[in-house]
Amino acid sequence: MAGFEYRQAEEIRNAFARHGVRYLFLGKSGALLLGYPDTTQDADLYLDRTPANGHAAVQALIELGFALNDKQVADIERCKDFVQLKNGPFDVDLVFAPDGIERFDDAWRRHVDVEGFPVCHPDDIINSKRAANRQKDRESLPRLEAFREYWLKQRAAEESP
Amino acid sequence: LYNVLGEGDRLQHAGEPQGCGITQFENGGKRIMPEPATEVEIPREWQEEFEAAARRPLAVRWNYGLVKTYKPVLDDAPYRSFESMEEYRQWCEANLPEWLGYGRV
Repeated sequence: MAGFEYRQAEEIRNAFARHGVRYLFLGKSGALLLGYPDTTQDADLYLDRTPANGHAAVQALIELGFALNDKQVADIERCKDFVQLKNGPFDVDLVFAPDGIERFDDAWRRHVDVEGFPVCHPDDIINSKRAANRQKDRESLPRLEAFREYWLKQRAAEESP
Repeated sequence: LYNVLGEGDRLQHAGEPQGCGITQFENGGKRIMPEPATEVEIPREWQEEFEAAARRPLAVRWNYGLVKTYKPVLDDAPYRSFESMEEYRQWCEANLPEWLGYGRV
C-alpha cells in the first residue's frame, strides 16, 4: 500500500510545472497545505478541463511512475469528471469537474500559493465539500469553517502594515 | 468576529448567513455560495490545534496529515474513472460500506 510523503508532493508539483499542467490541490490535501491539521490518505487534484491539459497531466503522471494503459490515458486526455489512480507511487484523484466549483478559471483567480503548491482557496474547498454533502464531508465542515476563519485572520494580519 | 470558546463549547454561527444558498448552474451543477457575513466562533481546542499546526514546517504538516489506511472496496482496484461526479457518487453509495461515510446525507 503506497504511502504519500512530502517529497512526493514536491515531485507532483515539479513534474506538473515542467509539463505545464494547470491544476489546484483541492479537498483535505489542499487544506493541509494551507495549515489545516487533519488527516487524509490521498491528494485531490482539480485540473483545468482541456484536452491539452489532460495530455500534459498524462505526461507528468507517467514521468512520476504511474502505470497508465491506453484506456486510462484516453480517459484522462478527454477529461472524464473523476479519475481515481491507485496504480502509481501514491494515490491521487484527478477531478475535472468538482462539486461546488463552476469554472477552473474562477478557482484559479482565488487560489493560494503555498511554497509553490497551487491550492484552492478555503472557500472553494468548503464549497466543494458542502456541495458533495457526504456524511464524511458534513462531519468535517464545522472544523474546516473554523479553520477558514483562523486562516483569514492570520492572512489579514500578515498583509497589514 | 473572532471569539474563542471554552472547552466543550460548540462551533456556532453567530448570525444568519447573508447571501447563502444554492445556485443552479446552466450545466446542471450546483454551487453552494460562501457565507461572507457569517461569524464563526472557534472552540479553544481547535484554535490551539490551528496555532500548533502553523508552527510546523510544511513538510512536517504534510507527513503528519497523509496517513494511508486501508478502505475496503475503495482501495481494491488500481484504477477507476467516472463520466460524471454524479456517477461517482452513485457508485460510492452502491458499493462502499456505509460506515466509510461516502454516502450523501
